[in-house]
Amino acid sequence: MDYFTQRPLRNSDIVWRREQRKEERVLRALEEGEAVDEQGTVLLVVSGTMHQLNLVGGMIWCLCDGTRTVDEITAQLADEFSVSRDELESDVREFFDELQQRGWLSYV
Amino acid sequence: MFDNFTDLFSAPLTINWTLSFRCNFSCSHCYSRDEQVAELETADVKKIIDILVAKKIPFINFGGGEPLIREDLFVIAAYATAQGLNVSMNSNGSLLDESAATRLLKSGFKSVGISIDSADPALHDDFRNMPGSFEKAVAALRVLQNVGLKRTMSSVISRINFQHFHELLDLARRYEVAQVYLHNFKCSGRGFKNREDLDLTPAEWKTFYVEALRVKQQTHDLAISFDDPVISSLPGYDTDPLVNGSSCGKLSLNLRPNGDLTPCGFIPLTVGNILHDDFDEIWYNSPVLNQMRNKRAGGKCLDCGSYEACQGGCTARSYAVTGDFNQPDPHCWK
Ligand code: SF4
Repeated sequence: MDYFTQRPLRNSDIVWRREQRKEERVLRALEEGEAVDEQGTVLLVVSGTMHQLNLVGGMIWCLCDGTRTVDEITAQLADEFSVSRDELESDVREFFDELQQRGWLSYV
Repeated sequence: MFDNFTDLFSAPLTINWTLSFRCNFSCSHCYSRDEQVAELETADVKKIIDILVAKKIPFINFGGGEPLIREDLFVIAAYATAQGLNVSMNSNGSLLDESAATRLLKSGFKSVGISIDSADPALHDDFRNMPGSFEKAVAALRVLQNVGLKRTMSSVISRINFQHFHELLDLARRYEVAQVYLHNFKCSGRGFKNREDLDLTPAEWKTFYVEALRVKQQTHDLAISFDDPVISSLPGYDTDPLVNGSSCGKLSLNLRPNGDLTPCGFIPLTVGNILHDDFDEIWYNSPVLNQMRNKRAGGKCLDCGSYEACQGGCTARSYAVTGDFNQPDPHCWK
Protein backbone atom coordinates (compact mmCIF):
# COMPACT_ATOMS: atom_id res chain seq x y z
CA MET A 1 0.00 0.00 0.00
CA ASP A 2 1.16 3.53 -0.70
CA TYR A 3 2.86 5.02 2.38
CA PHE A 4 0.88 8.25 2.13
CA THR A 5 -2.51 6.55 2.25
CA GLN A 6 -1.69 4.41 5.30
CA ARG A 7 -3.24 5.34 8.62
CA PRO A 8 -0.83 5.35 11.59
CA LEU A 9 -2.21 3.99 14.82
CA ARG A 10 -0.64 4.33 18.27
CA ASN A 11 0.14 1.14 20.18
CA SER A 12 -2.77 0.89 22.63
CA ASP A 13 -0.51 -0.54 25.37
CA ILE A 14 1.25 2.79 25.62
CA VAL A 15 -0.18 5.13 28.22
CA TRP A 16 0.28 8.76 27.28
CA ARG A 17 -0.68 12.26 28.26
CA ARG A 18 -0.69 15.46 26.29
CA GLU A 19 0.62 18.20 28.57
CA GLN A 20 -1.47 21.08 27.28
CA ARG A 21 -0.16 23.71 29.68
CA LYS A 22 3.40 22.99 28.60
CA GLU A 23 2.36 22.83 24.96
CA GLU A 24 0.87 26.32 25.13
CA ARG A 25 4.03 27.71 26.74
CA VAL A 26 6.25 26.00 24.16
CA LEU A 27 4.14 27.44 21.34
CA ARG A 28 4.57 30.91 22.80
CA ALA A 29 8.33 30.36 23.15
CA LEU A 30 8.45 29.21 19.52
CA GLU A 31 6.69 32.36 18.38
CA GLU A 32 9.33 34.35 20.23
CA GLY A 33 12.04 32.55 18.28
CA GLU A 34 13.34 30.32 21.08
CA ALA A 35 14.69 26.84 20.48
CA VAL A 36 12.11 24.35 21.69
CA ASP A 37 13.20 21.09 20.05
CA GLU A 38 14.24 19.59 23.39
CA GLN A 39 11.03 20.53 25.17
CA GLY A 40 8.62 17.66 25.79
CA THR A 41 4.89 18.22 25.49
CA VAL A 42 3.61 14.64 25.43
CA LEU A 43 4.52 12.03 28.03
CA LEU A 44 4.53 8.34 27.18
CA VAL A 45 4.78 5.43 29.57
CA VAL A 46 6.05 2.41 27.67
CA SER A 47 6.32 -0.78 29.73
CA GLY A 48 6.91 1.24 32.88
CA THR A 49 9.51 3.57 31.32
CA MET A 50 8.80 7.22 30.71
CA HIS A 51 9.51 9.05 27.49
CA GLN A 52 8.62 12.48 26.16
CA LEU A 53 7.89 13.79 22.69
CA ASN A 54 8.59 17.34 21.63
CA LEU A 55 6.05 19.74 20.15
CA VAL A 56 6.09 18.37 16.60
CA GLY A 57 6.44 14.74 17.66
CA GLY A 58 3.69 15.20 20.21
CA MET A 59 1.34 16.76 17.66
CA ILE A 60 1.95 13.90 15.25
CA TRP A 61 1.42 11.37 18.03
CA CYS A 62 -1.93 12.92 18.97
CA LEU A 63 -3.09 12.58 15.37
CA CYS A 64 -2.19 8.89 15.08
CA ASP A 65 -5.57 7.46 16.04
CA GLY A 66 -5.90 5.29 12.94
CA THR A 67 -8.43 7.57 11.24
CA ARG A 68 -6.02 9.90 9.42
CA THR A 69 -3.67 9.02 6.59
CA VAL A 70 0.01 10.00 6.57
CA ASP A 71 -0.95 12.42 3.82
CA GLU A 72 -3.58 14.11 5.99
CA ILE A 73 -1.30 14.28 9.02
CA THR A 74 1.50 15.85 7.01
CA ALA A 75 -0.91 18.40 5.51
CA GLN A 76 -2.27 19.28 8.95
CA LEU A 77 1.23 19.85 10.34
CA ALA A 78 2.25 21.95 7.33
CA ASP A 79 -0.80 24.07 7.98
CA GLU A 80 -0.15 24.30 11.74
CA PHE A 81 3.48 25.44 11.34
CA SER A 82 2.97 27.39 8.09
CA VAL A 83 5.64 25.47 6.20
CA SER A 84 5.51 23.61 2.91
CA ARG A 85 4.74 19.91 2.82
CA ASP A 86 8.02 19.20 1.08
CA GLU A 87 9.95 20.60 3.99
CA LEU A 88 8.14 18.32 6.43
CA GLU A 89 7.79 15.08 4.53
CA SER A 90 11.17 13.52 5.21
CA ASP A 91 11.14 14.46 8.92
CA VAL A 92 7.66 13.05 9.36
CA ARG A 93 8.66 9.86 7.60
CA GLU A 94 11.75 9.49 9.76
CA PHE A 95 9.64 9.96 12.87
CA PHE A 96 7.08 7.36 11.77
CA ASP A 97 9.86 4.91 10.86
CA GLU A 98 11.41 5.28 14.29
CA LEU A 99 8.12 4.84 16.12
CA GLN A 100 7.27 1.81 14.01
CA GLN A 101 10.67 0.28 14.71
CA ARG A 102 10.15 0.74 18.43
CA GLY A 103 6.74 -0.93 18.17
CA TRP A 104 4.96 2.21 19.29
CA LEU A 105 2.98 2.55 16.10
CA SER A 106 1.48 0.40 13.36
CA TYR A 107 -0.39 1.16 10.17
CA VAL A 108 -4.01 0.26 9.56
CA MET B 1 12.67 28.80 31.20
CA PHE B 2 11.28 25.33 31.93
CA ASP B 3 13.12 24.56 35.14
CA ASN B 4 10.35 23.35 37.39
CA PHE B 5 9.11 19.81 37.57
CA THR B 6 5.54 21.02 37.19
CA ASP B 7 6.37 22.85 33.95
CA LEU B 8 6.04 19.50 32.23
CA PHE B 9 4.00 17.42 34.67
CA SER B 10 0.51 18.84 35.11
CA ALA B 11 -0.32 16.05 37.56
CA PRO B 12 1.28 12.85 38.83
CA LEU B 13 1.09 9.73 36.73
CA THR B 14 0.13 7.42 39.58
CA ILE B 15 -2.10 7.62 42.61
CA ASN B 16 -1.23 5.09 45.28
CA TRP B 17 -4.53 4.74 47.03
CA THR B 18 -5.34 3.26 50.41
CA LEU B 19 -9.11 2.82 50.47
CA SER B 20 -8.92 1.34 53.94
CA PHE B 21 -6.26 0.74 56.54
CA ARG B 22 -8.17 -2.35 57.70
CA CYS B 23 -6.29 -5.57 57.23
CA ASN B 24 -6.67 -9.17 58.31
CA PHE B 25 -2.89 -9.44 58.83
CA SER B 26 -0.52 -7.81 61.29
CA CYS B 27 2.87 -7.68 59.61
CA SER B 28 6.08 -6.66 61.36
CA HIS B 29 7.11 -4.05 58.79
CA CYS B 30 3.69 -2.52 58.04
CA TYR B 31 3.70 1.24 57.66
CA SER B 32 -0.04 1.54 58.18
CA ARG B 33 -1.24 -1.20 60.54
CA ASP B 34 -1.60 1.13 63.48
CA GLU B 35 -3.45 3.83 61.51
CA GLN B 36 -7.15 4.51 61.89
CA VAL B 37 -8.87 6.93 59.55
CA ALA B 38 -12.51 7.36 58.53
CA GLU B 39 -13.25 5.74 55.17
CA LEU B 40 -15.15 7.30 52.31
CA GLU B 41 -18.45 6.03 50.94
CA THR B 42 -18.45 4.56 47.45
CA ALA B 43 -20.07 7.72 46.04
CA ASP B 44 -17.21 9.89 47.30
CA VAL B 45 -14.64 7.41 46.01
CA LYS B 46 -16.28 7.75 42.58
CA LYS B 47 -16.07 11.54 42.85
CA ILE B 48 -12.34 11.17 43.42
CA ILE B 49 -12.05 8.98 40.35
CA ASP B 50 -13.80 11.70 38.35
CA ILE B 51 -11.14 14.15 39.56
CA LEU B 52 -8.33 11.77 38.54
CA VAL B 53 -9.89 11.39 35.10
CA ALA B 54 -10.23 15.17 34.72
CA LYS B 55 -6.58 15.59 35.72
CA LYS B 56 -5.56 12.87 33.27
CA ILE B 57 -3.84 10.78 35.94
CA PRO B 58 -3.57 7.42 34.19
CA PHE B 59 -2.63 4.93 36.92
CA ILE B 60 -4.23 3.92 40.21
CA ASN B 61 -2.61 1.36 42.47
CA PHE B 62 -4.71 0.24 45.42
CA GLY B 63 -2.73 -0.68 48.50
CA GLY B 64 -3.59 -0.73 52.10
CA GLY B 65 -4.57 -2.16 54.41
CA GLU B 66 -5.84 -5.07 52.41
CA PRO B 67 -7.75 -3.70 49.39
CA LEU B 68 -10.06 -6.74 49.19
CA ILE B 69 -11.44 -5.89 52.64
CA ARG B 70 -13.52 -3.21 50.91
CA GLU B 71 -16.45 -5.03 49.39
CA ASP B 72 -16.99 -2.24 46.88
CA LEU B 73 -13.44 -2.61 45.48
CA PHE B 74 -14.78 -4.27 42.32
CA VAL B 75 -17.39 -1.57 41.74
CA ILE B 76 -14.80 1.15 42.31
CA ALA B 77 -12.28 -0.46 39.97
CA ALA B 78 -14.91 -1.04 37.27
CA TYR B 79 -15.90 2.64 37.51
CA ALA B 80 -12.27 3.71 37.07
CA THR B 81 -11.40 1.30 34.28
CA ALA B 82 -14.58 2.20 32.34
CA GLN B 83 -13.13 5.72 32.15
CA GLY B 84 -9.81 4.50 30.82
CA LEU B 85 -7.76 4.42 34.01
CA ASN B 86 -5.19 1.66 34.50
CA VAL B 87 -5.92 -0.03 37.79
CA SER B 88 -3.71 -2.39 39.78
CA MET B 89 -3.42 -3.38 43.41
CA ASN B 90 -1.25 -5.01 46.04
CA SER B 91 -2.72 -7.69 48.24
CA ASN B 92 -1.61 -10.19 50.84
CA GLY B 93 -3.53 -12.75 48.80
CA SER B 94 -5.46 -14.26 51.69
CA LEU B 95 -8.90 -13.24 50.40
CA LEU B 96 -8.11 -13.90 46.78
CA ASP B 97 -9.92 -17.05 45.74
CA GLU B 98 -11.08 -18.02 42.25
CA SER B 99 -14.28 -16.00 42.54
CA ALA B 100 -12.44 -12.85 43.69
CA ALA B 101 -9.88 -13.31 40.88
CA THR B 102 -12.67 -13.52 38.32
CA ARG B 103 -14.29 -10.37 39.71
CA LEU B 104 -10.95 -8.54 39.62
CA LEU B 105 -10.55 -9.51 35.99
CA LYS B 106 -14.08 -8.44 35.12
CA SER B 107 -13.67 -5.11 36.87
CA GLY B 108 -10.74 -4.37 34.59
CA PHE B 109 -7.67 -4.74 36.80
CA LYS B 110 -4.52 -4.62 34.67
CA SER B 111 -2.39 -6.48 37.21
CA VAL B 112 -2.46 -7.71 40.78
CA GLY B 113 0.57 -7.81 43.05
CA ILE B 114 0.92 -10.35 45.82
CA SER B 115 3.22 -9.66 48.76
CA ILE B 116 5.62 -12.47 49.57
CA ASP B 117 8.56 -11.77 51.84
CA SER B 118 10.31 -15.10 51.91
CA ALA B 119 10.39 -18.21 49.78
CA ASP B 120 10.50 -20.12 53.05
CA PRO B 121 6.83 -20.56 54.06
CA ALA B 122 7.55 -20.62 57.81
CA LEU B 123 9.58 -17.41 57.62
CA HIS B 124 6.94 -15.62 55.56
CA ASP B 125 4.19 -16.73 57.97
CA ASP B 126 6.21 -15.62 60.94
CA PHE B 127 7.00 -12.21 59.40
CA ARG B 128 3.35 -11.71 58.58
CA ASN B 129 2.20 -13.02 61.95
CA MET B 130 -0.24 -15.29 60.17
CA PRO B 131 0.11 -19.07 59.96
CA GLY B 132 -0.82 -20.38 56.52
CA SER B 133 -0.37 -17.00 54.83
CA PHE B 134 2.38 -18.22 52.48
CA GLU B 135 0.15 -20.99 51.13
CA LYS B 136 -2.66 -18.48 50.62
CA ALA B 137 -0.34 -16.05 48.84
CA VAL B 138 0.92 -18.64 46.35
CA ALA B 139 -2.63 -19.99 45.92
CA ALA B 140 -3.65 -16.42 45.01
CA LEU B 141 -0.90 -16.31 42.37
CA ARG B 142 -2.25 -19.57 40.99
CA VAL B 143 -5.89 -18.45 40.75
CA LEU B 144 -4.84 -15.18 39.15
CA GLN B 145 -2.94 -17.18 36.58
CA ASN B 146 -5.98 -19.41 36.03
CA VAL B 147 -8.22 -16.47 35.21
CA GLY B 148 -5.53 -14.86 33.05
CA LEU B 149 -4.71 -11.79 35.13
CA LYS B 150 -1.20 -10.38 35.04
CA ARG B 151 0.61 -11.06 38.31
CA THR B 152 3.38 -9.24 40.05
CA MET B 153 5.13 -10.08 43.32
CA SER B 154 6.22 -7.60 45.95
CA SER B 155 8.87 -8.30 48.55
CA VAL B 156 10.06 -5.81 51.10
CA ILE B 157 13.78 -6.34 51.53
CA SER B 158 14.74 -6.71 55.17
CA ARG B 159 17.02 -8.77 57.38
CA ILE B 160 14.89 -11.88 56.83
CA ASN B 161 15.37 -12.05 53.08
CA PHE B 162 18.23 -9.88 51.81
CA GLN B 163 20.60 -12.80 51.50
CA HIS B 164 17.96 -15.00 49.90
CA PHE B 165 16.38 -12.81 47.26
CA HIS B 166 17.44 -15.27 44.54
CA GLU B 167 14.97 -17.70 46.09
CA LEU B 168 12.22 -15.11 45.83
CA LEU B 169 13.02 -14.73 42.13
CA ASP B 170 12.88 -18.50 41.67
CA LEU B 171 9.52 -18.57 43.42
CA ALA B 172 8.27 -15.87 41.03
CA ARG B 173 9.43 -17.97 38.09
CA ARG B 174 7.61 -21.02 39.41
CA TYR B 175 4.37 -19.06 39.47
CA GLU B 176 5.06 -17.33 36.16
CA VAL B 177 4.92 -13.89 37.68
CA ALA B 178 5.60 -11.07 35.20
CA GLN B 179 7.47 -8.72 37.49
CA VAL B 180 9.07 -8.76 40.93
CA TYR B 181 9.32 -5.59 42.98
CA LEU B 182 12.07 -5.67 45.56
CA HIS B 183 10.93 -2.81 47.76
CA ASN B 184 13.38 -0.99 49.92
CA PHE B 185 12.63 -1.02 53.60
CA LYS B 186 10.86 2.09 54.87
CA CYS B 187 11.25 3.34 58.41
CA SER B 188 7.57 4.20 58.82
CA GLY B 189 4.87 2.88 61.15
CA ARG B 190 5.84 -0.55 62.43
CA GLY B 191 8.81 -0.43 60.09
CA PHE B 192 10.15 2.38 62.26
CA LYS B 193 9.39 0.60 65.54
CA ASN B 194 10.99 -2.63 64.32
CA ARG B 195 13.80 -0.94 62.49
CA GLU B 196 16.56 -2.35 64.68
CA ASP B 197 15.43 -5.90 63.96
CA LEU B 198 14.52 -5.53 60.29
CA ASP B 199 16.54 -2.83 58.58
CA LEU B 200 19.96 -3.52 57.05
CA THR B 201 23.07 -1.49 57.73
CA PRO B 202 24.19 0.87 54.94
CA ALA B 203 27.04 -1.54 54.07
CA GLU B 204 24.55 -4.39 53.78
CA TRP B 205 22.31 -2.30 51.55
CA LYS B 206 25.24 -1.66 49.28
CA THR B 207 26.13 -5.36 49.10
CA PHE B 208 22.51 -6.23 48.41
CA TYR B 209 22.07 -3.66 45.64
CA VAL B 210 25.37 -4.43 43.91
CA GLU B 211 24.27 -8.03 43.66
CA ALA B 212 20.65 -7.21 42.81
CA LEU B 213 21.71 -4.85 40.00
CA ARG B 214 24.04 -7.53 38.62
CA VAL B 215 21.24 -10.11 38.70
CA LYS B 216 18.78 -7.67 37.12
CA GLN B 217 21.15 -7.01 34.22
CA GLN B 218 21.62 -10.72 33.60
CA THR B 219 17.97 -11.71 33.97
CA HIS B 220 15.86 -11.79 30.86
CA ASP B 221 12.96 -14.07 31.78
CA LEU B 222 11.63 -11.90 34.61
CA ALA B 223 11.32 -8.15 35.13
CA ILE B 224 12.98 -7.07 38.37
CA SER B 225 12.28 -3.62 39.73
CA PHE B 226 13.64 -1.69 42.65
CA ASP B 227 12.87 1.93 42.85
CA ASP B 228 15.44 3.31 45.26
CA PRO B 229 17.34 6.49 44.34
CA VAL B 230 20.13 5.75 46.80
CA ILE B 231 21.52 3.23 44.27
CA SER B 232 22.27 5.98 41.74
CA SER B 233 25.98 5.76 42.47
CA LEU B 234 26.22 2.04 41.66
CA PRO B 235 27.28 0.52 38.33
CA GLY B 236 24.38 -0.74 36.25
CA TYR B 237 21.91 1.87 37.48
CA ASP B 238 19.84 3.40 34.69
CA THR B 239 19.35 7.08 35.36
CA ASP B 240 15.94 8.38 34.46
CA PRO B 241 16.27 11.36 32.14
CA LEU B 242 13.01 12.88 33.34
CA VAL B 243 13.02 12.47 37.09
CA ASN B 244 15.90 12.29 39.54
CA GLY B 245 15.71 11.13 43.14
CA SER B 246 12.54 9.95 44.84
CA SER B 247 9.49 9.89 42.60
CA CYS B 248 7.09 10.71 45.46
CA GLY B 249 5.37 14.05 45.06
CA LYS B 250 6.57 14.06 41.45
CA LEU B 251 5.37 11.01 39.55
CA SER B 252 3.08 9.80 42.29
CA LEU B 253 0.93 10.96 45.18
CA ASN B 254 -0.65 8.96 47.95
CA LEU B 255 -4.34 9.01 48.84
CA ARG B 256 -5.47 8.08 52.32
CA PRO B 257 -8.88 6.52 53.11
CA ASN B 258 -10.44 9.91 53.93
CA GLY B 259 -9.27 11.61 50.74
CA ASP B 260 -6.21 13.26 52.29
CA LEU B 261 -3.24 13.49 49.96
CA THR B 262 0.32 12.89 51.12
CA PRO B 263 3.48 12.86 48.97
CA CYS B 264 3.80 9.13 49.58
CA GLY B 265 2.49 6.52 51.98
CA PHE B 266 5.56 6.86 54.15
CA ILE B 267 5.53 10.62 54.69
CA PRO B 268 2.84 11.59 57.19
CA LEU B 269 2.38 15.14 55.90
CA THR B 270 -1.02 15.95 54.46
CA VAL B 271 -0.80 18.36 51.56
CA GLY B 272 -4.56 18.71 51.09
CA ASN B 273 -7.78 16.79 50.70
CA ILE B 274 -8.73 15.81 47.20
CA LEU B 275 -12.45 16.24 47.83
CA HIS B 276 -12.25 19.57 49.61
CA ASP B 277 -9.27 21.35 48.08
CA ASP B 278 -8.44 22.33 44.53
CA PHE B 279 -6.17 19.67 43.03
CA ASP B 280 -4.13 22.08 40.91
CA GLU B 281 -3.55 24.34 43.90
CA ILE B 282 -2.13 21.37 45.83
CA TRP B 283 -0.10 20.05 42.90
CA TYR B 284 1.51 23.31 41.88
CA ASN B 285 1.71 25.21 45.16
CA SER B 286 2.00 22.83 48.09
CA PRO B 287 5.11 23.94 50.02
CA VAL B 288 5.79 20.34 51.06
CA LEU B 289 5.63 19.01 47.50
CA ASN B 290 7.77 21.85 46.21
CA GLN B 291 10.37 21.27 48.91
CA MET B 292 10.52 17.62 47.93
CA ARG B 293 10.91 18.52 44.26
CA ASN B 294 13.62 21.08 44.96
CA LYS B 295 15.77 19.45 47.58
CA ARG B 296 19.00 21.05 48.66
CA ALA B 297 21.98 18.88 49.43
CA GLY B 298 22.63 18.51 53.14
CA GLY B 299 25.33 16.75 55.19
CA LYS B 300 27.55 14.40 53.19
CA CYS B 301 25.42 14.90 50.04
CA LEU B 302 27.07 18.33 49.69
CA ASP B 303 30.27 16.74 48.44
CA CYS B 304 28.77 13.77 46.66
CA GLY B 305 29.22 13.35 42.91
CA SER B 306 25.99 11.34 42.70
CA TYR B 307 23.73 14.07 44.05
CA GLU B 308 22.21 15.04 40.73
CA ALA B 309 20.78 11.58 40.12
CA CYS B 310 20.33 10.57 43.76
CA GLN B 311 19.00 13.80 45.26
CA GLY B 312 19.89 12.55 48.72
CA GLY B 313 18.09 9.22 48.29
CA CYS B 314 14.70 8.34 49.70
CA THR B 315 13.10 11.49 51.07
CA ALA B 316 10.68 9.50 53.25
CA ARG B 317 13.51 7.75 55.05
CA SER B 318 15.48 10.95 55.58
CA TYR B 319 12.38 12.62 56.96
CA ALA B 320 11.45 9.69 59.22
CA VAL B 321 14.87 9.53 60.80
CA THR B 322 16.00 13.19 60.85
CA GLY B 323 12.81 15.23 60.34
CA ASP B 324 14.54 16.96 57.41
CA PHE B 325 13.95 16.21 53.72
CA ASN B 326 17.42 17.44 52.84
CA GLN B 327 19.47 15.14 55.01
CA PRO B 328 21.10 12.10 53.38
CA ASP B 329 19.13 8.89 53.21
CA PRO B 330 20.04 6.82 56.30
CA HIS B 331 20.59 3.83 54.00
CA CYS B 332 23.39 5.63 52.15
CA TRP B 333 26.76 3.88 52.47
CA LYS B 334 28.90 6.71 51.14
S1 SF4 C 1 25.76 11.10 49.87
FE1 SF4 C 1 23.69 11.83 49.43
S2 SF4 C 1 23.64 12.13 47.20
FE2 SF4 C 1 25.43 10.85 47.64
S3 SF4 C 1 24.72 8.74 47.40
FE3 SF4 C 1 24.48 9.27 49.59
S4 SF4 C 1 22.37 10.05 49.79
FE4 SF4 C 1 22.90 10.05 47.58
